[in-house]
Amino acid sequence: MNISDSVLIIDDEVQIRRLLEITLSSNDFNTYFAADGKQGLIAAATHNPSLIILDLGLPDIDGQELLLKLREWFTKPVIVLSVRNSEEEIIKALDNGANDYLTKPFRSGELIARIRAAIRLSRESGDKPVIESGSLNIDMINHVVRKNGEILKLTSTEFTLLTLLAKNQGCVLTHQHILREIWGYGYLEQTQYLRVFIAQLRKKIEDNPSNPTLLITESGIGYRFGN
Amino acid sequence: MNNSLENRPDPDIKPASIKHDEGHVKRDRLKILSGIYGGVGKTYYMIHFALSERLKENIHVPGKSGILQYILAAAAVIITSAGCFGFTEYLGYQSISFILLFVVSILATFMGIGPILLASSLGAFIWNFFFIPPRFTIHIDKTEDILMFFMFFIIALVNGILTSRVRRQEKLTRDREERASALYQLTRELSAAAGITELIESAAKNIKKHFNTDSIFILQDGMNHLSEYCMGISSKLLSETEMSVAEWVFRHSRKAGKYTDTLPSGRLTFFPLTGSSIKPGVIALKLDAPVGADKEQFWDIFLTQISNSIERKFLDDLARKARFLDESDKLYKTLFNSISHELRIPVATIMGASDSLLSSEHSKEIRNELSSEIFQASKRLNRLIENLLNMSRLESGRITPRFDWHDIHDLINKAREDLREELRDFTTDIVIPDDMPLVRMDFGLMEEVLYNLVHNATQYAPPSTSIRIKAFYDNGMLNLEVMDRGPGFPKTDLPYVFNKFFRVEGSKPGGTGLGLSITKGFVEAHKGTISVENRKNGGSKFTIRIPSEIFRDDINQ
Repeated sequence: MNISDSVLIIDDEVQIRRLLEITLSSNDFNTYFAADGKQGLIAAATHNPSLIILDLGLPDIDGQELLLKLREWFTKPVIVLSVRNSEEEIIKALDNGANDYLTKPFRSGELIARIRAAIRLSRESGDKPVIESGSLNIDMINHVVRKNGEILKLTSTEFTLLTLLAKNQGCVLTHQHILREIWGYGYLEQTQYLRVFIAQLRKKIEDNPSNPTLLITESGIGYRFGN
Repeated sequence: MNNSLENRPDPDIKPASIKHDEGHVKRDRLKILSGIYGGVGKTYYMIHFALSERLKENIHVPGKSGILQYILAAAAVIITSAGCFGFTEYLGYQSISFILLFVVSILATFMGIGPILLASSLGAFIWNFFFIPPRFTIHIDKTEDILMFFMFFIIALVNGILTSRVRRQEKLTRDREERASALYQLTRELSAAAGITELIESAAKNIKKHFNTDSIFILQDGMNHLSEYCMGISSKLLSETEMSVAEWVFRHSRKAGKYTDTLPSGRLTFFPLTGSSIKPGVIALKLDAPVGADKEQFWDIFLTQISNSIERKFLDDLARKARFLDESDKLYKTLFNSISHELRIPVATIMGASDSLLSSEHSKEIRNELSSEIFQASKRLNRLIENLLNMSRLESGRITPRFDWHDIHDLINKAREDLREELRDFTTDIVIPDDMPLVRMDFGLMEEVLYNLVHNATQYAPPSTSIRIKAFYDNGMLNLEVMDRGPGFPKTDLPYVFNKFFRVEGSKPGGTGLGLSITKGFVEAHKGTISVENRKNGGSKFTIRIPSEIFRDDINQ
């Protein structure tokens, strides 16, 4: 972890800003603050932070709109942290370019883990040849997945699905995103295929398929590859 | 019957589509209720008032059948005379007068007075001219013949008058019967009406039937002034002037408008609806002629019946509202008591623990304990807020499930994950068949359902007992069961478990009695059912059954 990682917090609630400041600085992040959308845009441009934590309910501009504006030039991760907890809102934020979404109230530990995952992902330039998580080892070059050293038999779709999620380790991918990437635009509504493949994959790669730690369900939103 | 009316059983729900422009402030205050009959565009009852036709009947103005009667009468007399002409020698001219009189009398039993007069004049003339000697003159020699001649007229007149009197009596009796049965039908229909809308509708229908006229009902709003009572119809039904006439009629309880002494200009006649204790409003009729004297009494009774029925409905509504207010007051108090308690406890914990952390030095152990208390209290608060929000979502009727394919494992995992700390002291026993298909449901709602049930189990079952969650698909239904080894429910409480704010008497503090009612609401949003029973060896068992499609993995890879 780079000491100089900085996080811009765009949130109009003083208490949340203070809490985030304490939590983030105790985890060696530099913090900048903005209380509304306008200040947020300026602060993002001046400080060029490693990551932005964005609240959706801002006094001057809706967070979703701000997200779109930020995404016109800001390429680093944005994590949305909001009280809005409807699936629609979350999916919209992810579609608008957010890397992750957390609803308030949140657990600080969870937030830090998400921030780290997002920053790490943004740092990794190009494809990693090997992704590891727990006892699972994914060799991207040779298209081989090992669990506890043993080679697993995966179909090509299963492999594509697994690598798509693994490449975004720690970040949530929406159902639509995954369906588009793997099956194409015609299958955006066919979540049942995705669920069947996830269930099959779990049986192969999880220690306990009914209590998964690698392929984590984000209910109503998508999946996340666990660290 | 108009659909827009039938779809509004409760007239108190004002349609959102009614917009008031500033220029019609007065109209805004007026409730217009119109029976709509026969079409959306038609805003009032069109009936051709039958009075003029009834009048014609009474004074026997010859119509088509009238002329026929005259011809028939004349023909009968002429034919009889002609028939008798050859037999004058044998019968004697005096007997012929009796035959002719007999014919006239027969005619009098079924013909009006006009044809009878014609028949008798004709009979008298023919008898005189053709039969009385000297024949073929109108001269009469004998006194008895002159008497006989006049007898024709007298008998004809007496017969005619008696017959038409009898007939009038008959008609009166028939009318009375008709009216009695009309009133009976009205009363029956009015008392059968389910709501005020239906009542107005059947009143208007009956008015149309018996008085052949449109009726517009303008009812008061319960605060003693007429105000809008729109039923999906435009409030342009009455002009502003007409509304003020309606107001006047309502205030003074006297009729006004067309064919009355008060404000006779205009197209409508307004009658007050007067009940025994309240004035329900005003009824406006579109009459083509004044209500005739013979019908006035009938109309009065009709009006009284309608007034009384509307009044009764009004009073019923008032009583129901009073009861409802009473109930919601009770509900509000319960809510207030339980929620304020539920809010205060965690807030007190958070304040106390954080204050303690701030004010004095503690060992790391105690600091952790206090922090953990704060965390738990916040979770409890969060849960309460979640439940209140869900409750208000349910109450507002805005729950429409977003169905998608889901793996039931995901659902159960989510609940277990969310309740990790609560479940730590329990054994969780998950039973899902290997071939469990994907099911269609709203994950968010079902997550809430399962969370509430499992959370409940952790709250009431003793530690280190087992909590079992079982899911299976059977016959088009997703079955989800949550079983615990807690105390179960008292048998008498079982039917009330899902009621809002219901809590088993003597159950431990904490909890608002909202969780299970929300659970039920969400299950019902899926068109499913939830039930609870006590288990044989102790504990409770909740069973959810939700109709669902399934998806089995039969895809080509």
